This record gives sequence, structure tokens and C-alpha cells, in this order.
Amino acid sequence: MSDRLSQRIESVAELLVHALELEHQSAECYRQLAQALAVHHNHAAAALFGLLADMSDARASAVMARAEGVSLPEIAPWDFKWPAAGSPQIDCDHVEISYLMTPLQALEVCLDKETLGREFYVLVASESPAAGVRVLAAEMAEERRERVELILTWIRGERGVATRVPEDLDPPNLPG
Amino acid sequence: MDAASVIPTLRAKDYKSDVVPVWCPGCGHFGVLSAVTKALAYLKLPKERVALISGIGCSARLPAYVGAYGFHGVHGRALPLAAGLKAARPDLTVLVAGGDGDGFSIGGNHFLHACRRNMDMAYIVMDNEVYGMTKGQASPTTRPDWAKSKLTPHGTGIRPFQPAAIALAAGASFIARGYSGDPGGLTRLISEAIEHPGFGFLHVLSPCRTFRPEQSDWKHQVHRSDKGPTDDPAEAAHSIQADDGMTLGLLYARRLPVWQPDNRATATTADLEGAFVV
Ligand SMILES: Cc1ncc(C[n+]2csc(CCOP(=O)(O)OP(=O)(O)O)c2C)c(N)n1
Ligand code: SF4
Repeated sequence: MSDRLSQRIESVAELLVHALELEHQSAECYRQLAQALAVHHNHAAAALFGLLADMSDARASAVMARAEGVSLPEIAPWDFKWPAAGSPQIDCDHVEISYLMTPLQALEVCLDKETLGREFYVLVASESPAAGVRVLAAEMAEERRERVELILTWIRGERGVATRVPEDLDPPNLPG
Repeated sequence: MDAASVIPTLRAKDYKSDVVPVWCPGCGHFGVLSAVTKALAYLKLPKERVALISGIGCSARLPAYVGAYGFHGVHGRALPLAAGLKAARPDLTVLVAGGDGDGFSIGGNHFLHACRRNMDMAYIVMDNEVYGMTKGQASPTTRPDWAKSKLTPHGTGIRPFQPAAIALAAGASFIARGYSGDPGGLTRLISEAIEHPGFGFLHVLSPCRTFRPEQSDWKHQVHRSDKGPTDDPAEAAHSIQADDGMTLGLLYARRLPVWQPDNRATATTADLEGAFVV
């Protein structure tokens, strides 16, 4: 369903609205995952998603500060120019999420989401017709790269410890 | 100054309540919740002018998670409850939410009449082809050969209920299909269903992560409609029947008379009280 590939971001204001949406929605998505996993007593994975939610909140505030004084256009939720149908991170449809996921699996989900977010900025940095947009998008891609690197470091650390599979003492009556 | 101009702009998350969803992590219904709140924010609807009505089911928990008015009613009875509310309070934006079991099984009769009555409300059915809340029994939309429930070890052997075709035959004026993993598209369809003057029926494919894990493949099966909606019922019947059930978008929309009872008072409360005096 990737039918928006050719749409290009043409102004800094438009890029800022996309960046804000991306950060707000990624914070929402991570927080939702953190809450859902906490409800199911998977506190290790919940803590990781909670941490990522806080980091996204901080990034949203940074984008907000950058947007100070810029008149931002209002964009309908379906008119964002994401490379695929959902935003790289809003697409929080979670098929890969399980209440029994390990911290390593949680980190892998975060890595996917952060990588997609970075790819969005890289695409804008290479495809926008406006030089100012390309510069700002490249800066944002670099920030994302740092976050991707951080998660990779955590993943390496997690691979080094014994797998912590959460236990379910009362499993659902699953189809056989 | 109209009401909209004095309402501060709310973001989608401002329409969420502080009740934490108990859905299984990975449930498709999260995507529907997110799209509902985005649509309300996009339409800038004041929270106190919106009511969400539901029956029973995992999907029917949705009103609890939205920070507007809500009523979590009886299994299969969301539509009559919503009709009563809309009749009494036509000024409210009424949204009805539930599952395929709630809406097409026990509530199937109400679904038919809600379609033909055409009251101004949006009905979101979160279809996962299973009874999620009661731990995975076949529902009216389950395919005949799904044999993973102990109640139907050989499958149901019954052709599935066709929500869009049945809505059309029952006289619905707005029929659309969305997918919980398509946040932008689903938000748009919910907004359109709310704005449609009449009964906006939105069939949402919303996977059950726990009892139908194979539905994760829907992501690859859904596709957008390659043509716009029609207002011709014969044309709609043809395309809906020919469809694989995975086409997303607005399938049919037509202006039809909206039913709204005349609410003029015919008696005072004192008259009514008088009638009960023995
Ligand atoms: C009158 C009545 N009959 C049966 C039930 C049991 N029941 C609760 S939810 C449900 C079906 C839920 O399936 P669905 O509506 O598809 O929603 P989901 O949980 O899959 O989202 C049933 C049969 C009930 N609560 N009340
Ligand atoms: S049982 Fe299925 S429908 Fe219910 S919350 Fe879990 S995944 Fe969702």
C-alpha cells in the first residue's frame, strides 16, 4: 500500500508539521505499548517502551521549539506525505507485539520504528526540491541515527544476558 | 462567533480517556481507537457533544477509552440504545462501536433496521471474524473452514455473513471498509462516516492478535478501491458482490431521507404524573 512515494515535502513549515506528528505519534504509540504490556504484567518490556515514549516526548518538545514563530499548516491525518500508508511510527498496528515479548524483542520493535523514522528524513533530505528543507531533514535524520545507534547498543547488551521470557501462569485457551 | 471558533484545538490524545485499555498487546482495536480520536480531533468536535455507544465485546470497550460521553450497554443492543439517544438528543454526534459478534450475530436484526431507518450516526464494526472476548468462538463472519475453536472443530460449514452486501440490501446510505493497520485511511473513513448525513456504516477489519494470529497477514491482503464510491445501488451491489472483501475505501454513499422523530412535547411532566395517580 505504499502509494505516496512520489510526494515531496516542499517547505520547512511542512517538514516541521511532519516531524511534530512523527514525534507526537511515536510517543503515543510507545506509551500505548508500555501501558498495554504493564496491564499484562510484562514490566521489563513496558519499561523499555516507556523510556522510548519519554525520549519521543523530548524530541517533540525540541521540534516544537524549532517551530517557534513559524506558521504551521494544518494537515489532515490522511494527507501526510509518509513514504507508506501510515507514518513510519504512527503505523502502530503491533502485529509483532505479544504480551510475552522479551526485552530483546521489544528493542527490535523500537529499532524498526526508529529506523523507519530515520528513513523518512533521509528520503526528504534527498528528494525535497527546497534546499532549506533538505538541510533540516538531514539534521533530523542525523538525530534519528543517534537514536538508532543507542538502541543498537542496548540490543547488543541485551543479547549478552540470558533471555528473560515472561511467564504466564494463566495462559489463554488458545486454538490448538 | 460560532461554537467551533471558541473551542481550543485538541489533539487526538486529548480525546483519549485516562482508562488504560486492557486489550491484548497487538490487538487491532488499538488502531481503531487511535483513528477514532484522530477523527474527532480533525473534526474539532467538542468532547461534550459526542457520545459513543457500544454493546459487549473486546471492541465494545472502546467508549471507555475515549474521553467523550459513553454508554457500554447490553450485548447486541448498541444500535437501539444509540437510536434512542439520537432521537432524544439530535444535537449530539453519536458513534456506535462493536464487534462482528455483537453487531451481526445477536445484534443482526438491529443492524438491518438501523440501515433502513437511516438515523444520523456512525456505526463502526471492528470485524475480527471471531468472538474475542469469550475466548475465540466462530462468529457470523468466520470462514466456514476455520476449525480452531473447540465449539466448531470441523469449521462452521456456513457461508459467512457479508456485512457490506447486507447493509446495502437493508437500505444503508453509506458503506465503507477500513483496516485498523491503515491509520490515515481509517481516520478519513471515520470522519466521513460522522459527517455523512444519515447512518454511516463502517466495516473495519481489525485483527484479533490472540485467537486469530493468522490475521496478521491481512496487512498484505488489503488493497485500496481503484474507483470512487458510487451512489447507484445496482452498481454498488455488483462491485460489492464481485469484491474479495479486502477492498478498502468508501464503497457506496447516497443521500437518503434521515429519520429523526419530532421531539415536540405533547404533554407536561405534571400531565404525565397526573396519569399515574391512582
Ligand atoms: C446476552 C449475551 N449473550 C452472550 C454474551 C457473551 N458474549 C460476550 S462478548 C460476546 C461476543 C464478542 O465478540 P465480538 O462482538 O465479535 O467482539 P470482539 O470481542 O471479538 O471484539 C459474547 C457472545 C453476553 N455477554 N451477553
Ligand atoms: S482477545 Fe482478540 S479482540 Fe480481544 S483484546 Fe485480545 S486480541 Fe483483541
